[in-house]
Amino acid sequence: MAEKHVRFRVFRYKQGDPAPHYDTFTVTVNERTTVLEALQAIRRDQDGTLVLRHSCHHASCGTCGMRVNGREVLACVTNVWELDTPVVTVEPLQNAPLVSDLVVDMGPFYQTFTQAHLPLVRESEYLPESQVAEGVPFHMRFESCIECGLCVSACPVVASDPDYLGPATLAAVWRVVQEPRGEDADARIAWVDSEQGCWRCHVAMECSEVCPSNVDPGGSIMALRRELTRRALGIGRS
Amino acid sequence: MRGKARGVSTTIRWLLQAATGILLLLLLGVHMVANHFIAEGGIRTYDQVIAYLSHPVIWTWEALFLIIVTFHAMLGVRSVLFDLGPSPETEKKINLGVAIGGIGAIVYGLWLLSQLR
Amino acid sequence: MSQQMSVSRPFLRRGWRAWFQVRGRHVGYIAFALNRLTGLGLVLYLILHLMVLSLLTRGPNAWDAFVRLAKSPLFLLLDGILLFGILFHGLNGVRVVLVSMGIGVRRHKELFWALMGLAALLLLGGVWGMWHV
Repeated sequence: MAEKHVRFRVFRYKQGDPAPHYDTFTVTVNERTTVLEALQAIRRDQDGTLVLRHSCHHASCGTCGMRVNGREVLACVTNVWELDTPVVTVEPLQNAPLVSDLVVDMGPFYQTFTQAHLPLVRESEYLPESQVAEGVPFHMRFESCIECGLCVSACPVVASDPDYLGPATLAAVWRVVQEPRGEDADARIAWVDSEQGCWRCHVAMECSEVCPSNVDPGGSIMALRRELTRRALGIGRS
Repeated sequence: MRGKARGVSTTIRWLLQAATGILLLLLLGVHMVANHFIAEGGIRTYDQVIAYLSHPVIWTWEALFLIIVTFHAMLGVRSVLFDLGPSPETEKKINLGVAIGGIGAIVYGLWLLSQLR
Repeated sequence: MSQQMSVSRPFLRRGWRAWFQVRGRHVGYIAFALNRLTGLGLVLYLILHLMVLSLLTRGPNAWDAFVRLAKSPLFLLLDGILLFGILFHGLNGVRVVLVSMGIGVRRHKELFWALMGLAALLLLGGVWGMWHV
């Protein structure tokens, strides 16, 4: 397999530093190397103080969210070769408090997100190929959102107003409205009919562009708007 | 979570902004064509302005345009300022500020129109 | 605990500058940034326009002097920029309303470009009209 040397310009910050800076590392990559693997190689072989967060390595957990060449991605499934840039810039997510280097504090994200009370298991949209195998009683399908925070990082409104509920939480509320599963959908939809709710979105739709898990938060926010408009004007039922 | 809407529902406010925006496509379109493309020379002289505004329908149209555009502009300014994440106290000041600015502009504009009948 | 663990600025509350950090962003983000810019520009124009109209209360000489100024090439250039602002803001606004009501959600980028095509035609027509009227 072919190999090449790629320079990684990595955002660095430690608590107490007056300001962040960038360190550049050179890593030998092949056609299958992911950004996460390259960062782990940097940490292992060049700078053990590099702080990063990762877990499943296959886009299921949402832990390794970061910005690569200015765009929000999951580092574990971002192929360095396909980036095709001589220098790869790696930075932490935006719109979240910074802890160290590439790790942000996801606490504020969860504080808001959990208020949507999104159940974990969904009842709809099983794939046609998910026929249960013999001996398996049933499949469980989880909600698509892996709570990675990429959408929140990409949102221009959260950037200037952290109190905006944001795309992830609003998408979760739409899922509750679509499939209540015992939750109070009316209370949720009343919650998003506010200055910090679905009306604050300005349809940049960058959230849906960066979502790695087909949640389409932008579309969900528009669906909430349609539902609120129907209720306000007394038109039909969703 | 701060800023739960009281008074005008946020849905209604947004729908008003949307509706005035759509209305403005027509109001502004007619205003531009009437004042700059039909008007000889592309802009009306003093006498032509007076003649133009002497028609009651036109006068009413321009008054309506003034009110709608100012309303849409003030809600837009409010939206931009609210996007900066102000405190509840500052939100109240913004609401007061855009209301005063909007009403002031409309009163001034209607006074001006009435001077030119 | 979050406050002790982390720094808040400039990673939180990035402010209005974030609205215009369009590098690497897709067309919807750029449309939002331009919508904001044109909207604020149009508010400024509205204020100036209302102020200039007060010249009408000072009689024909004052107003007609302004009319001569308004026909200068610089003014016509500014009018062209104004027309772009009006068309962009208005037609992107149509996209925002349509998408918000569920029309063109999946294909909002195509909708944007179609509306911008219309804006370009109207802008060309308007500019042609300005130079020939």
